[in-house]
Amino acid sequence: MADLEVKDLKCHYNTDTSVVPAVDGISLSLEAGEIVGVIGESGSGKTTLGLSIMRLLDGLASVSGTIVYKGTDITHLPEPEIDRIRWKDIAIVFQNNLDILNPVMTVGKQVVEPLLKHEEIPVREAQARCADLFRTVGLDPVWMDAYPHQLSGGMRQRVLLAMALSCDPKLLILDEVTSALDAFTRKEIRDLLIDLQKKNGYSMILISHDLSFVSSLASRMIVLYAGRVVESGPTVDIINAPRHPYTRGLVHSTPDIFVYKDLWGIPGESASEDGHAGCPFSRRCTQPIEICRTSPPRLQSCGDGREVACHRGGIATLLRADAVHFRYPLPGRKTLHAVNGVDMDVCEGEVLAIVGQTASGKSTLAHILAGILRPESGEVRFMDGAVHSGNNGHRFGGIQIVFQDPFSSTSNRFTVLDAVREPFDINRIGTAAERLDMTREALKLVRLPPTDEFLGKYCGALSGGQRQRVALARAMIMKPRLLIADEITSALDVSTAANVLRLLKGLQNRRGFAMIYISHDLSLTLKIADRIAVMDAGRIIEIGNAHEVMLHPRDDRTKRLIGTRVGHCCHDHKPVGMAGRLQTRVSDCGDE
Amino acid sequence: MNERDGQAIIFRFVVTLLVILALNFILPHMMPGDPFSTMASDVQSEDVIVMTEAQREYYFQYYGLDRPLPEQFFSYLANLARGDLGQSIYYKMPVAGVILLHLPWTILIVLAATAISTVVGVVLGIISARNRNKGSDRLMMTGLIAFAEIPSFLLGIILLLIFCVHLRLFPLAGAVTPFAHYTGVLDQIGDIAHHAFLPVLTLSLAQLTGVYLLTRNTLITVSTKDYIRTARAKGLGDHIVWSRHALRNALLPVVTRTGFVIGMLMGGAVLVETVFNYPGIGLTLRNAVVARDYPLIQGILLVVAVSILLCNLLADRLYQKLDPRVVE
Repeated sequence: MADLEVKDLKCHYNTDTSVVPAVDGISLSLEAGEIVGVIGESGSGKTTLGLSIMRLLDGLASVSGTIVYKGTDITHLPEPEIDRIRWKDIAIVFQNNLDILNPVMTVGKQVVEPLLKHEEIPVREAQARCADLFRTVGLDPVWMDAYPHQLSGGMRQRVLLAMALSCDPKLLILDEVTSALDAFTRKEIRDLLIDLQKKNGYSMILISHDLSFVSSLASRMIVLYAGRVVESGPTVDIINAPRHPYTRGLVHSTPDIFVYKDLWGIPGESASEDGHAGCPFSRRCTQPIEICRTSPPRLQSCGDGREVACHRGGIATLLRADAVHFRYPLPGRKTLHAVNGVDMDVCEGEVLAIVGQTASGKSTLAHILAGILRPESGEVRFMDGAVHSGNNGHRFGGIQIVFQDPFSSTSNRFTVLDAVREPFDINRIGTAAERLDMTREALKLVRLPPTDEFLGKYCGALSGGQRQRVALARAMIMKPRLLIADEITSALDVSTAANVLRLLKGLQNRRGFAMIYISHDLSLTLKIADRIAVMDAGRIIEIGNAHEVMLHPRDDRTKRLIGTRVGHCCHDHKPVGMAGRLQTRVSDCGDE
Repeated sequence: MNERDGQAIIFRFVVTLLVILALNFILPHMMPGDPFSTMASDVQSEDVIVMTEAQREYYFQYYGLDRPLPEQFFSYLANLARGDLGQSIYYKMPVAGVILLHLPWTILIVLAATAISTVVGVVLGIISARNRNKGSDRLMMTGLIAFAEIPSFLLGIILLLIFCVHLRLFPLAGAVTPFAHYTGVLDQIGDIAHHAFLPVLTLSLAQLTGVYLLTRNTLITVSTKDYIRTARAKGLGDHIVWSRHALRNALLPVVTRTGFVIGMLMGGAVLVETVFNYPGIGLTLRNAVVARDYPLIQGILLVVAVSILLCNLLADRLYQKLDPRVVE
């Protein structure tokens, strides 16, 4: 039997003007000795969940649902009876702040207090226990006589931990214990928690927005958004392959997991009480459909002990390639097998990088995926139709491709207006005025001036960076669901390349379209890619999370590719006779 | 407290005192009239004996009132430095003597009123806060706030009319029964309490609402603090949570206020003592003002001001003892 069983818990805060559903139907169960992580942004209802398990919400909150602790329904226990369970059975380590401890009582007294109440032991013995607890959490017992304001944030957090452990609880709730701690202390507390759990067999609920901390402790995770569970399952699976777009956003925003990637948050604000009846995440989602705005999704099992609340069953596959082959005829009846049996998926809203040497078949693959080239065999499906029968390039929400060389992909003789508006002209979309408006919008999007003067400029008069952005605007004007960027920065100098790339990633992050980014430049790719596919001789030899591929490459050719990065300013090959001078330089560099 | 802070406090105290001294000196002199227009007449009686010009001049010279004001001020300061508060023109005895004669009565009713208003105010505040937004809380709030709007002298007059004139439960005037023969100390204390009862009640009621509101509101604020939730989480039980955690913190501002309350009551005593004809320094001050007895007015105002300053200082020191966050 589970230690703790929470069923359909709802906590609504009643303010003067509105009702805020902080927790909106959460169920969870906790086995004895299990560590469960509860993850979510601020305002997702995590803390309310912790407080309601301890029945600590004040009169302004209306609570429904049931909380069963070791077979006893504690939801409606009278206050004196719940007081017997509090701290003795269920204790909580509060999030540290200056007000969390009574400012006019020494911390020692505050730790001793519950001991006297629940264990009914003499004061002297309680004080000795308190000193032991202090040592356990790595605090000198002399601090027992200090007042809360005399302690640092980290010390206060330790006191809170010591306090929670004082009556040897069976279930420990930890609310954002690491948010006030530096990296060293955080690691120490984590190790301490693991030790304590092993020694005393506590069950723990770890409430935090710190994904890396939680994932290093919890065996199972629950992801909250706007007071609801959007995903739950084993920690490893959730971190490696999140199913909900929100979870993916969180994982991708965690620098400890994606060590190389630039930091991009989930766009938009956390859902507040805006009153629409659909999925609370739909406004920030990368793959909303009609039903998402009208009815909230239910949490449903998706196998392997995982659950996800999404009308689309989690992150949906946008494009799928199945056994795709393509050969170029060479002189002398030979053929070049440019794409040799590629299977791959691109999910909604993700950035997949295809990396490989020149002539490894990347661009050919890109052309096939975009529907420009027809594969000899195999199939590419976009959304629900085959790429080759659809008209994905000609409609809104389809596939657009931006090419490597902006000088040949945009005509010198076109004005900027002609170049960007071209897809509308070809596909006969909108009136002239609408086309102009949308052209200006698209230019703004790529940070080009939407002025008449600029619109009238000939592409031939633009710089490389500007021209590539014009090409990008031409693609963006069709509001693609999938953007294929084929070596778009390789013709640009480093600074321009960086600007274009950040612009592109920024657009992708805000708009939520999926992107296939093709490049031979591994370092650059790592800055933006969620997943990396390594291509060699027409095959995808390795595909996985960007950091996984980078840190633990499996294929030898991938290892070689990673090893080819020239990188650093500090080299250790010294020219003869210059050793002394160079040595100091090297150490200068090394110290940075 | 370190030495520099100590010095700073003393410096502030001295500056405040000097400002008060200057005001004390200037304000009485700005009143129309002078001590001799009413000198020969009894303050209480209606007949006014007008002095001749020569007599007035003589008295002006005698009391040094003919000298320029700055000169008078400096000689006042000089005398004060020697501990001499001057001679009362009206009572024709040393000001210090007059004050010593009446001050104990004022101290008695002020301290009693402070104690009563603080204790009752805190208790009512606790009851109100614990029943927040319930009927009893709303009733008490509305009642006490409305009550606080009644000026204390009016309240005094009403009490006087009901309890002294109609019900004849309490004496109309004085601090003790004149020419009484006490059978023992208890008897004497009983008599004093009997006389002091209504003045103390009036003063207490005047201050009650302030203490009540402060206690109630601080307690409500404190009860939303995270450390109260922490205490509740520890399963300590309602009683300990309220007494040890909430009240202890909520009473801190009440302590500061008590020093302030004593000051307010010293001022309030003037009106209340006049209404009840209670022989404290409030009544004496009123008489001194009517008689334009400059030295006595200055003396009493000084005593009142210094006691207010001392009370505030004391409250500050006490606060430092109670709140560890205040750096000693």
